[in-house]
Amino acid sequence: MNFDTRKYVIISFIVVVGFIYTSRLFYMQVIDDSWALRAQQIAEKRKEISPPRGPVYDRHGKKIVSNRTYYNLMMVEADMKDFDTLAFAKLIGWTKEKVKARFREIVKGEGKYKNRHTGKTTSNYQKVRPYPFIKEMTLDEIANIAAHLEEFPGFYEEVTSMRSYTYANGANIFGYLSEVYREEIEADHFYKAGDNMGRAGIERFYEKDLRGQKGIRYIVTSALNNDVESYMEGKYDTIAKQGPNMNLGIDIELQAYGEKLLKGKRGCVVAIEPATGEILALISAPSFDPNLLVGKRNISRNYPSLARDPQKPLYPRPLAAQYPPGSIFKLLQSLIALQEGVITPESGFPCNKSMVGCHDHPSAGNLPDAIKFSCNPYYYAVTKRIIQQGKDRNNFIDAEIGLNIWAKYMKSFGLGYKYDTDITGLTTGSIPDSKYYDKWYGHHRWAFSTIRSISIGQGEIQLTPLQMANVGAMIANKGWFYTPHFVKSIGKNGPLEQFKKRHVTMVDPKHFDVIHEGMRRVVYVDGGTGRQARLKDITVCGKTGTVQNKPKKDHAVFLAFAPMHNPKISIVVFIENAGFGGTWAAPIAGLMIEKYLKGTVTDTVKEKRMLDAVLY
Amino acid sequence: MRKGEKITTNIDWPLFSVYIILMLMGLATVYSTAYNVDSPNLFDYSQKYGKQVVWLLISLFLGLLVLLIDADIYRKFATPIYIFTLILLVIVLFMPAKNGARAWLGIGTLGIQPAEFAKIGTSLLLARYISSVNIKLQNLQTVLMANVIILIPMVLILLQPDAGTFVVFTSFLFVMYREGITYDPLVLKFVNLIPGIKFKQTWVGSHFIPIMFAVVFLCISTLLVSNNIITFDFMPNVKIPGFAGVVTSLILLALLSLFFLRYIGSKRDRKNALIIVIIGFTLCITIASSVNFLFQGMASHQKDRIELFLGLREDPDGEDYNRNRAMAAVGSGRFLGKGYNKASVSSVESNHVPESETDFIFCPFAEEWGFLGTFILVCLYMFMLFRIIMIAERQRSRFVRVYAYTVAMILFYHFAVNIGMDIGFAPVIGIPLPFFSYGGSSMMSFSMFMFILLKLDSQRSYILQ
Repeated sequence: MNFDTRKYVIISFIVVVGFIYTSRLFYMQVIDDSWALRAQQIAEKRKEISPPRGPVYDRHGKKIVSNRTYYNLMMVEADMKDFDTLAFAKLIGWTKEKVKARFREIVKGEGKYKNRHTGKTTSNYQKVRPYPFIKEMTLDEIANIAAHLEEFPGFYEEVTSMRSYTYANGANIFGYLSEVYREEIEADHFYKAGDNMGRAGIERFYEKDLRGQKGIRYIVTSALNNDVESYMEGKYDTIAKQGPNMNLGIDIELQAYGEKLLKGKRGCVVAIEPATGEILALISAPSFDPNLLVGKRNISRNYPSLARDPQKPLYPRPLAAQYPPGSIFKLLQSLIALQEGVITPESGFPCNKSMVGCHDHPSAGNLPDAIKFSCNPYYYAVTKRIIQQGKDRNNFIDAEIGLNIWAKYMKSFGLGYKYDTDITGLTTGSIPDSKYYDKWYGHHRWAFSTIRSISIGQGEIQLTPLQMANVGAMIANKGWFYTPHFVKSIGKNGPLEQFKKRHVTMVDPKHFDVIHEGMRRVVYVDGGTGRQARLKDITVCGKTGTVQNKPKKDHAVFLAFAPMHNPKISIVVFIENAGFGGTWAAPIAGLMIEKYLKGTVTDTVKEKRMLDAVLY
Repeated sequence: MRKGEKITTNIDWPLFSVYIILMLMGLATVYSTAYNVDSPNLFDYSQKYGKQVVWLLISLFLGLLVLLIDADIYRKFATPIYIFTLILLVIVLFMPAKNGARAWLGIGTLGIQPAEFAKIGTSLLLARYISSVNIKLQNLQTVLMANVIILIPMVLILLQPDAGTFVVFTSFLFVMYREGITYDPLVLKFVNLIPGIKFKQTWVGSHFIPIMFAVVFLCISTLLVSNNIITFDFMPNVKIPGFAGVVTSLILLALLSLFFLRYIGSKRDRKNALIIVIIGFTLCITIASSVNFLFQGMASHQKDRIELFLGLREDPDGEDYNRNRAMAAVGSGRFLGKGYNKASVSSVESNHVPESETDFIFCPFAEEWGFLGTFILVCLYMFMLFRIIMIAERQRSRFVRVYAYTVAMILFYHFAVNIGMDIGFAPVIGIPLPFFSYGGSSMMSFSMFMFILLKLDSQRSYILQ
């Protein structure tokens, strides 16, 4: 029998195996990349090098936020040998039980991982991985320990950097950093467990700039998790870049001085440079030292007491608190009335206390005097003319038209909306329009008499102190403003685009001179309400306000800018429950203006009186 | 050697060249895999590559000796050589165990694996037995005798235990198949037990070996990929069960066979071949589907046991460590590879792939050279196998032909199993990649195989028996 044909069976066997293997190799090596990914998981370690955050400078180039080096005491259980718990506890100054408890905590807690797909929570703890045993130790703390760490294999120190504040001021401006949550890590792969992230203030708003660029090293690791070499000789590695320098408009000396003046008081001060919209100082009282919230250890120690404090130091009053503006609002009513042509600078109204109350003063015969006296009946009459312009025979319809015109002006002054700016935690304030009152009273069911309290800045009107300060800047500029903001520049970039846009109001510049004159009289003419803000060489224009806060004591407000010609600073001082605006708010504004423009304060008696006052 | 002839006369140069190329490629891979920064010299005997150079030189020297000796002795002394290797296999059983197996004969680090040389002894005796006068592989007695020749070393090797080499010995069945062995008498006995059936001859019986192997190969491949899920980059949501890959491959193979049918000469043969392809395809699909269905329907502990048996899992806790690492290394090579000496998963230093310079040497090669390299390597082995079969078929001596087939089939086995376990197609059995893996015994025994074949072939004009 001839079996030669059987060779073809064998040959085809070999051909088939060769064909299948080639296709399989093509699939595994070219089409499907899951094996390549698996190889990465197995053999490559992506080592991230966290850069220090960008430092922050004030407007005069003073470094106000920098970084300080701290040390983590790391442990790798797999490397430990003959671990002597007692000796180790003695070295770090703990009890033996505390050391053991910390071990349990790390094994259970630090490695805990919830698998999103299975929903199972498993301990991801691995003996070969490093975990921080003690976090954020200072050089002094680690120095004694580090010298003896050789006796404890498996322990080593690791350098990290954390924020450090040169001045104990501006906590509400900077915000603070805290450890990222797992959800945040999943949302942004920049972060890994243990990294910090900006939580409030400019640290949060400029997080992506300040954090810098991470350096990444790809390392080939062995089956025992040792580093073998750089992957592909460092071809894909990148260098860590520190965050860029950031320059603020803040004058840290002014900020510090303001915080000092407001000790023992509850309230806030906001100062803006009118020509640029840069915030010079933003003080929330009571304040706290930003160094209190640096690092996990400090936060867990200090945050609870700050949060529990009845004076609410964590609450950023200048941005978030909304108050009725009180009498400083009369400046805006005057501007609208002038622009609408319903009064002239020479208009006089009697101080008729039948509709609204007033303090004792002679009737104002013209507008500047009305500002000087802060006459309530005068503004009742002025606002009535704005709202009820007689554009419709129906009184209710007329009021609706008038109020909406009024609200439009207010909006052009930068009120009733949230600024598009680099300040986190802003609130909107409230400027009522016809829809607002329709909701309360019904359509065409209200007229000026219903809503008359808006004429003196009470009632439904609410402004944040930041908005009040910006009103001051707008008046100082005679009808325009830049959105108030903190940051002048980051690295090579100037201010954000939206800060370069000039917002022009609906009021003609020519109407502002008479307002300026009125504000001057408030400070410099006898009978003016803001005489306490008077300075010798600098003409201060101001306006007092006393915000009713029944049943508690009134809030004191003072709005000012200076100098009168070519204004450099606009400031609002808001002291809660301090009574009359002229008594407490005006002198603080005067002191701060002098401090900012001159660098020193001449009236030390007044200064001492303000420093010593405790108003809560 | 006849007078006046040079040693190089009638040597098959293509085969010799591909042998040398594979050995040099292997040496280069061993060098890059076991590379030690502190002693980069290739000839440093303290390093594995230095040792491999020595093995290589010894192998070539042994090869030279083989070429100098007249080829007649292999037929004449086939039985003594076979018995000698059997004795070695017995002796090795009394040696101290190393890595759980008594496979090594020798002192210290220097040693040989008798099992490697037992392959040569068995090949020669089998060739001699089959080529004896008055031998017909259709006789049941002859078939049994041939099987006994194979079975004795197999049993001894299993006692070591060395599962890999044990499996390799089944390659001799293919050789016997080529020489006309039939299991029909056995099959008929069973088939005719069924009442109402009286066959005189069955197709399955005469082609029992390739059919059995095709079925085993199909079953194992199906099991290995059954739990896999195929996904693609560009369609991340589409998940195809691994079984679909088996079906696709079968369909492609059937289409390929249909394409080649047209080259079959006579119309009748073509018709027969078409019927075989259709029946074969239907059977393959049926077998693969039932294996897949049965496996998927099993309880998880039963699955575990099967996966364990297939080497899919080293141990129930280790979750398929070796194969997983090996496949990751192969896959990470991508199309062009990472470049020479840049293997990161399978270098000895990182040690993710165990035994990466011996049994898993394909991994660092695939990682460094990518699909381009592995494709060329597969082609080189294919070329070598076809060349040996060509050489076998041109012999007038049945002895040489049988011997040549044993060489081809043993190499084919090593190739298929070794690479198969790196790509998830074969169970993890530790056998070396011929001429490539680090190791003296395999290097020397494969070289001896090769040179004996070259010598026998060079004398084909006057070896008639």
